[in-house]
Amino acid sequence: MNMRSKPFIAFTLAVVLLGTAFVCGCTDSGTGPAETETISVTGSTTVLPLAQLTAEAYMDTHPEADIQISGGGSSVGVTAVGEGTADIGMASRDLKSEEVTNYPDLVQHVVAKDAIAIIVHPSNTVSDLTVDQIKSIYLGDITNWQDVGGPDETIVVVGRDSASGTREYFHESVMDKEDFTTSQLEKNSNGAVRQTVAQTPGAIGYVGLGYIDATVKAVPVKTGSGIVDASVATVISGEYPIARGLNMFTDGEATGLAADYLAFIMSPDGQALVAEEGFVPVA
Amino acid sequence: MEYEQTVTGAPAVSAELAADRRTYLKERSIRYVWFLTAVFGVLTVFFILAFLVKDGILIFAETTPAEFLFGATWNPTGAIPAYGTLPLWVGTILVTIGAMVIAAPLGIACAIVIAELASPRVKAVIKPAVELLAGIPSVVYGFFGLIVLTDFIRVNFSIPSGETWLAGSILLGIMALPTIISVSEDAISAVPKEYREGSLGLGTTRWQTISQVVVPSALSGITAALILGVGRAVGETMAVLMVTGNAPIIPDPIYNILSPIRTLTGTLGIEMGETAIGSAHYHALFGVALLLLFITLAVNLSATMFLGHIHRKQTGTGKGPGRLSLVLEAHRRTIRWGVAAAAFLLVALIVSPLVAVVFALIGVAWRYIPSRIEPHHQQTVAFVLLYGAIAVVLAALAVILGYIVVNGLPAISWEFLTTAPRALGREGGILPAIVGTLCLVAGAIAIALPIGVGAAIYLIEYTRENVLTRIIRTGVDLLNGTPSIVFGLFGFSFLVLYLNFGVSLIAGQVTLALMVLPTVIRTTEEALRSVPDSLRQGSLALGATQWQTISRVVLPSAMPGIITGAILSIGRAAGETAPIMFTAVVFSSRFLPSSLSDPVMALPYHLYILATNVPGADTNQYGTALVLIALVTGIYLVAIALRTHYQKSIRW
Repeated sequence: MNMRSKPFIAFTLAVVLLGTAFVCGCTDSGTGPAETETISVTGSTTVLPLAQLTAEAYMDTHPEADIQISGGGSSVGVTAVGEGTADIGMASRDLKSEEVTNYPDLVQHVVAKDAIAIIVHPSNTVSDLTVDQIKSIYLGDITNWQDVGGPDETIVVVGRDSASGTREYFHESVMDKEDFTTSQLEKNSNGAVRQTVAQTPGAIGYVGLGYIDATVKAVPVKTGSGIVDASVATVISGEYPIARGLNMFTDGEATGLAADYLAFIMSPDGQALVAEEGFVPVA
Repeated sequence: MEYEQTVTGAPAVSAELAADRRTYLKERSIRYVWFLTAVFGVLTVFFILAFLVKDGILIFAETTPAEFLFGATWNPTGAIPAYGTLPLWVGTILVTIGAMVIAAPLGIACAIVIAELASPRVKAVIKPAVELLAGIPSVVYGFFGLIVLTDFIRVNFSIPSGETWLAGSILLGIMALPTIISVSEDAISAVPKEYREGSLGLGTTRWQTISQVVVPSALSGITAALILGVGRAVGETMAVLMVTGNAPIIPDPIYNILSPIRTLTGTLGIEMGETAIGSAHYHALFGVALLLLFITLAVNLSATMFLGHIHRKQTGTGKGPGRLSLVLEAHRRTIRWGVAAAAFLLVALIVSPLVAVVFALIGVAWRYIPSRIEPHHQQTVAFVLLYGAIAVVLAALAVILGYIVVNGLPAISWEFLTTAPRALGREGGILPAIVGTLCLVAGAIAIALPIGVGAAIYLIEYTRENVLTRIIRTGVDLLNGTPSIVFGLFGFSFLVLYLNFGVSLIAGQVTLALMVLPTVIRTTEEALRSVPDSLRQGSLALGATQWQTISRVVLPSAMPGIITGAILSIGRAAGETAPIMFTAVVFSSRFLPSSLSDPVMALPYHLYILATNVPGADTNQYGTALVLIALVTGIYLVAIALRTHYQKSIRW
């Protein structure tokens, strides 16, 4: 029966080609050395840059190591390591009570600290803010920059999503667990907050130290002891009031490559990279 | 003589019987295989639903169903947690309405131009351009929206922030366009030539033929196109969460399109990743996913009823008009005026009396002036408007592509395309991401195409409308409306955790395959439906079996439509971020994937992370976007070339 029409053959061919592409592309292209050891690191997008930089440096000197980094969020990290789908979970917060119950064996490694900087548009003339003023802005009680020494402009309040570890810390340490204004714009990452603040003249936002650049202005915080810039030095000295720890979790004590990798992060070389990315070293 | 005949005849008869039996068994088993593929869609829906219900139902330990549905405050992490989803589903509905107000007229107009007016040469430019629009990944739309569109809105409307309902609707409208245009165009093209010739032969203008004969004949296909468009808009996550501001408030007043809003998908997209598994917040999010599915179900069921109505009217078969439609018919005039008056009052109260009067005047003009204007002048006006719609769509494509090409070209180099990323992707290249994306898409299509085409064959060729096919169709519709982020959640909880695949290539491929399956089924169904019945009857009358008829006659004829479906699917799969985020991708991997259980890098996710999480990666981020779009274009060009070839070789 050679009566099959050309289109049908072509169609079959197309399917076969797709199938082949998928098989060839994915099973025959392993180019790594024969004896590689692989670990996966997943979770908080705040910790991700730190993990990635240190992993690259580690792999440069250990050609047999393959450290795969992915994001997803703090809870994804905790769940993944708890369920055994990842070797290391990253979280920008401590374990919640449900997680402690579900995964009692998780071991916490504090790999860095991070300040949460208050950022505004570069054109904003506000010179400093007290923690109470920041709180009033995020409560929706202060709605114009004039009231805190800035220009006559409506304040656009930008925050993180309600599941963010960064927001959770902000909620506890700045807001005293009071509710944010409902008109707050919510962003799912540090980068998105910075992007919005950078192009919105009236905006205020909060991001990790590593996200400050020329496109936004970090507002110094006025405390009892004076006006404090958000910086590595002020976090180490304990002067900057809004700072928290960044964590990596393992299921039980770390072993093998995971243990070596964590040790590298805590080594002087690793902590130097941590500082380079704008985080605060802990060792 | 008689004896001899019997002796020689007997084996021949039994051989014939055996052959008959073999053919019969073969036909049966083929039918059975296609039946299984069709049922697969329904089972998947129930499976997803069961997983969502399992986790979502637990939220009612914390709050009442009434409070969950109609509570005005969504603040799951507040001092006193509040799980009211009212602002979320209202936001979803508003942003979808806005998107359809933009996309429906533009989309149908473009489809008419492509199918009826454009010369082959113009068509050869417009069609691929529209399909390219479908290939732009949602994360690219979102990023473009965040940087360009919201800023444009903020400046031009002088508001503090441009992250608004309007921005979301514009973006979703553009994203829904390719689906609406492609499917409507297939439907319009499938209207038999005789209708047009008959109408034109009676002395009508082309516009009269198009508006009174062709479009009404294609209405069922156009409705299907709009439903697919609504599904796309309701289910979109990444783009919408990047531009609507995500403030969980109901616009005040409700028509304030410059207010920030938050959708159900946006809520899932931004909160799911960082919520503790098993917490009340986690269950609340599964409740949100359920709500999203129920909204989709409502939309699809009403649309299915509407489609069925049109179908009965067109074929003149079936039960005839029910009592309700008879009543409606009798009071048509009254109802029409009532609706018009209500719309007038609504617009007058909500927007402004002036706008209402303007709309009323346009309406009156629409109703009464055409009869006074010469048909040829009407046609000129209509054609100008139609080509205007094409111009708007092409301009949108040009702006978005131009922006990415101009910013992305400086990043492109041989090294960028052939090395692994370094320093968080600020340096180095994207080779593992390119390979990973190809693997994900190829696997997804290899899984979805046979199942999807098989299901469509079963639905169209093997059965008449009955309860079972209605259930299957509803299942497919529901699957189509299921937002990609929900597939991501399902893939994560079922494939990654429950089946213990881990974050892996195969988990991503299966998740993506499920996501594109309904598109393949729907477009294949449309394509099969457009094959004239006379071809099937001719083949069957010549003694061909049903499968021979399908494989040699029907499928080849339907091939252009099936390929269109495959193209749309590839475009979607290659650009999606939400479904692979928790199932398949890593931010970086040193080696190329070597087995199906390895996680991979993927271009959309790489772009998403570069755009939102890595400071100072601007150049490589545009470069990645450009490569992603170039890759999709390449895939499309191959598919378009194939389709053009078929269209040239098939005539009936």
